[in-house]
Amino acid sequence: MNLSESKDFLVSSASLKEVRTFSRETFEKVNLNQELKDELVLAIAEAAQNIVKHGYKGVQETSDRMEIKISLNEDELKIGFYDKGKPVVPGNVQHRKLDDIKPGGLGTFFIKQIMDEAVFKKDQQGWVNHLVLTKKI
Amino acid sequence: MTYKVTEEGNIATVFLDGEIDMDVTEKAKEVILPLVNSGKEVHLNLKDVAYMDSSGISVLIESHQMALEKNTKVVVKEVSKSVLKVIMMAKLEQILNLG
Repeated sequence: MNLSESKDFLVSSASLKEVRTFSRETFEKVNLNQELKDELVLAIAEAAQNIVKHGYKGVQETSDRMEIKISLNEDELKIGFYDKGKPVVPGNVQHRKLDDIKPGGLGTFFIKQIMDEAVFKKDQQGWVNHLVLTKKI
Repeated sequence: MTYKVTEEGNIATVFLDGEIDMDVTEKAKEVILPLVNSGKEVHLNLKDVAYMDSSGISVLIESHQMALEKNTKVVVKEVSKSVLKVIMMAKLEQILNLG
């Protein structure tokens, strides 16, 4: 099955619910088990949260938007995230060690657990950051 | 997210309702942490929480750690399957008190 859906959102924690709704509605069109759909929604929400939390760290309010594109080409799922926040240095994107129990630092870990790959692309296409999450499904 | 708090003796039960994400974590902490800080045993009832992300997990960890400092405990109760999966993904099922 092939599918491509994209939507842009205001960069704000208040948009995260809308991000999940968009993701759920998109995955409703695909024949996947509910458990996997829930995981994918979590991965997308965590990546969007990272944009709000880290890409716009210190920014109280912005009119900037971020775009999320979900594409399925046969069995390859690609989820693109475009934003105009602070440039991400991929080497600095790390999750905390799991045995170091403290609040925070789990979002990236969840993404890596759920997806096969998370790569920041150089083809920003007018944006500052372009993250692509992929998974064979 | 909405919530309800009931208290009986030294146990305060917080019934959370809705999805717990970054947008509501401050509100959740404002409800839970003062109860923990007061030394009460706090039960977090999550039966009406169908979604929780890493921000929600952080609230659980922070509550748990504050409870340890205050010589009390936070018990996480009636966890939905989807939230339990996130807790297990974070390998916290042995750390948090799941009741």
